[in-house]
Amino acid sequence: MMTCEIFRSTFHADTENAALLGHLRTCDRCLDFAANVDPDVMFRALGGEDLVPPGGVELFVDDVMRQVRVRGAEKVATIQRPVSWMRRLAIAATLATAVTSGSLVYRHNSAIPSSMMTSIKRAPIAAHQIALVTKPIVETYESQSATIMEVPNEPNDDVKIVMIFDENLPADL
Amino acid sequence: MMPTTPVVETDDRQLVQTIREGDADAFETLVRRKTTKVYALCYRIIGNAEDAKDISQLVFLKLWENLEKYDPAYAFDTWLYRMVTNVAIDFMRNKQSRDNAVNSTLRLVKTEADAEQGVVVQRKEVENVFNDVSSVLSPKQKTIFIMNQMEDLPSAEIAKILGCRESTVRNHLFNARKAMQAQLQKRYPEYAQLWRSR
Repeated sequence: MMTCEIFRSTFHADTENAALLGHLRTCDRCLDFAANVDPDVMFRALGGEDLVPPGGVELFVDDVMRQVRVRGAEKVATIQRPVSWMRRLAIAATLATAVTSGSLVYRHNSAIPSSMMTSIKRAPIAAHQIALVTKPIVETYESQSATIMEVPNEPNDDVKIVMIFDENLPADL
Repeated sequence: MMPTTPVVETDDRQLVQTIREGDADAFETLVRRKTTKVYALCYRIIGNAEDAKDISQLVFLKLWENLEKYDPAYAFDTWLYRMVTNVAIDFMRNKQSRDNAVNSTLRLVKTEADAEQGVVVQRKEVENVFNDVSSVLSPKQKTIFIMNQMEDLPSAEIAKILGCRESTVRNHLFNARKAMQAQLQKRYPEYAQLWRSR
């Protein structure tokens, strides 16, 4: 057990004696004495002992281990979904093809004269017009399976509009 | 003080080997064993309990991620201390760039009675004084000073930890002492008379 008397009789500048330094860190009076002998020891008073983090060692360790487990899980998740170099190559090739094709189509469309573009745009309209060719006017129509409805017309209009619903309606009507 | 006795070193190496073999519980044992030492150094370098706790946790996470890189030919504590100082110095550099005025508002309040009684050094006061005057040191200077003066590590050991020459460590110590003396003279003349130029 280091006493103040022993400390003061044995302390000298530049000492590295652990017991002396230990006493220095627990006794303010001896620190005052030692600082007059060796000014460097003044801040030595702050050192020496290990310190406990806020909340205690166990809480600290729990926190660290929790973070370690989280990082471990993230690592495992990354490893479980590895993308092989072949697959990466395939993805890269697909992307490159898509970009190149898109670029070529864009350039091709830009190179087409505007007159051709017009005709291309009109083509579906023409087809649509063909589909809407007017059917011949039917004067009379009789069928057992037909449902015929007369649409009310204007009093002075002599054209009668009739709606016919028939599963067996001829193709030319 | 970080112990460097051969027995402890052997245990640490064995523990690291067990962790490398996949035993997560062994890592928990290692964390528990080193927490107070790592936290103490972080706290002394950073000077703030909450920041020191965060930095200590970061050190252990880095330790976990880099354990494969540890070479058992070297003392484990030296390797661990290198990790602590690297992380703490980085933190200090970032903090200095964020807030250059850190600790600059700390002032030691001493009564006339204290002065008459002579300089009876109280631990908390010393801590405040240290935080204040050490704010002028570079993170590396401060770390070296703390390892030497508070962790009682010899210059040769500090050089190993920081991966530099012993003469570099001694230069840093000399410069740190000079800079702190100047600060002490400026801010705390009652202490400066104690800390004479050597």
